[in-house]
Amino acid sequence: MESKHRILSQIRAGLPPPWPLPEVPVFRLENPDKPGEMARILERGATQVARAATISDVNAVIDCYYPQRGKTLSTFPDSSDSALPSPGSPSDCEGTDLAVLEAVLGVAENGAIWISERELQGLRILPFITQHLVLVVREKTIVGTMHEAYAKLGRPEAGFGVFIGGPSKTADIEQSLVIGAQAARSLLVIIIP
Amino acid sequence: MMTHARNAAVFNQDEARTGWHDASLWHVRSKRDAAAAEVPEWEYLREFASDIKDHTLSKLDVYLEAFEKAALANGAMVHWAADAAEHNELVLSILQRHGASRMVKSKSMLTEECQLNTFLEKHGVEVIDTDLGERIIQMLDEPPSHIVLPAIHLKKEEIGALFHRELRTEEGASDPTYLTEAARHHLRDKFHAAQVALTGVNFGVVETGEVVVCTNEGNADMGVHLKPVQIHCMGIEKLIPRRSDLAVFLRLLARSATGQPVTVFTSHHRQPKAGGEMHIILVDNGRSRQLGRPDFRSSLKCIRCGACMNTCPIYRRSGGHSYETTIPGPIGSILTPGVDLKRFGNLAFASTLCGSCTAVCPVKINIDDQLYRWRQMAGAAGLPEAGDRLWSGILGKGMASPTLFRYLGRLGRFLLRLLPGGGRNIPLTVWTRDRDLPAAPAESFRDWYARQPKANGE
Repeated sequence: MESKHRILSQIRAGLPPPWPLPEVPVFRLENPDKPGEMARILERGATQVARAATISDVNAVIDCYYPQRGKTLSTFPDSSDSALPSPGSPSDCEGTDLAVLEAVLGVAENGAIWISERELQGLRILPFITQHLVLVVREKTIVGTMHEAYAKLGRPEAGFGVFIGGPSKTADIEQSLVIGAQAARSLLVIIIP
Repeated sequence: MMTHARNAAVFNQDEARTGWHDASLWHVRSKRDAAAAEVPEWEYLREFASDIKDHTLSKLDVYLEAFEKAALANGAMVHWAADAAEHNELVLSILQRHGASRMVKSKSMLTEECQLNTFLEKHGVEVIDTDLGERIIQMLDEPPSHIVLPAIHLKKEEIGALFHRELRTEEGASDPTYLTEAARHHLRDKFHAAQVALTGVNFGVVETGEVVVCTNEGNADMGVHLKPVQIHCMGIEKLIPRRSDLAVFLRLLARSATGQPVTVFTSHHRQPKAGGEMHIILVDNGRSRQLGRPDFRSSLKCIRCGACMNTCPIYRRSGGHSYETTIPGPIGSILTPGVDLKRFGNLAFASTLCGSCTAVCPVKINIDDQLYRWRQMAGAAGLPEAGDRLWSGILGKGMASPTLFRYLGRLGRFLLRLLPGGGRNIPLTVWTRDRDLPAAPAESFRDWYARQPKANGE
């Protein structure tokens, strides 16, 4: 408490003159093909992008990309893949080879894909601890820019949310790009109508 | 010689390595240029970012209290630390309350500034830095040499030898993919073994009480979500008023830092996980003092992208360690003299004042201008060495008086002609060590102009 008052009074003693808060316009993307642009940016950043005609084709696409997969936790469970445990705990995610999750929205300008604790059913660690990650994005949820993304997300409802823009990567050793640092080694984005 | 100049001279003894360092960073700067050019409204975004930060600083007291209120309403615990010592004590007390002796930490320049690792280790806590670059330099017991690329000064062979020693990788192996894989296994063990996770903070959102953490490796999230107790340490200047302001800053940050369109993971932590604890530590440590300095307060707008380092001809050719500060490069050189002018005032001279830092800064901090102002302060405090002070004094007087300037010019031209080789290479000055002066002209422009026939009516 004492430090709080000390800090605040020191701030007040040297406060700059008033400065208006600007209204920032919602800049939009010039390219009308938002899914195409998002795919282009993602592929440039070592993410695989696939299309599925309908939601029921998602698992067929996943079979093509990850035929040998181990433990899989999926928003679209079938005979081989389990649903996300609910309620679950971080230990349920141990040993996950593949996580398949439906995203809230995608951003064309930078390939950032939003997912929150709600879609993760409380399993915040899942998209990170899994060896491989699949994010399913509906075409109509893809926006052009980050401004549009935050306008659409509005006030947060979940306790945690994240933009994921590719597989975990690092260039910390001599600026050489290495895919698969601490989190998921690969990312597949499936765009569905 | 001043500290930075002396360290830079040592760094430059290995010419090939200096060239390699220079080229590595210039490569990052080039990627930044390409990424910026892809955004048509780039310059508008810089202007908005600058204005949002200026506005936030102008109401920082109000915003800090509002942020605290929102964070408390989210169920987070908020702590205030006036200085580094209090910050470190706060972290330790949280660890002790949970009987924790192992902590994982993602990249945080603030905790470097506070020397948190050294403090916790003294109290028997194992701290593991989980960003790959940070982990490498932690194993070497070195400070980071760059705020975004902490191990940019190291060669892969050196990292290979280190990993062979520490992680039992194959002797002589230096392939970055192989080394990164070894670190992945090592760090995954550490993530599981830790009891508490700590992160730095890129942005604190006042209206939602969220903290936003950006990483490419996912290491911050690997720590935070596996542990019931998460700690986020942030400088008081990290606030932005609205959630939508994140759009402006996130569009600028990664593009300015590495040329990526966005960091791979941009995590928004608002509430503790079910059954968990979320702590936010707000740290002053000299920031409120800097806010009270009108000439230097805008340095607090910095979002730590590192673009000013990558572009700086002095940083690229002297290396981050030569600054002897947590934050090196141009931004470090305007932040640290305010902490200790006597010790760090010399950094104001680690610049050519070319202004490239200011030109790339995503929040438009007038870095070169502030470097110049710190030079004045350092000069007034008598920091420059006797020789420099003498020459500056003579030049200052000479350039202030037209008569004296004319006389000195004539004297200089005369003396240069007397020297061997027309004085084009004077061994005593550093200026002619790598280049020859142009030949001294026979007369000055003023003398030449005076000889010209006058136009009509003049």
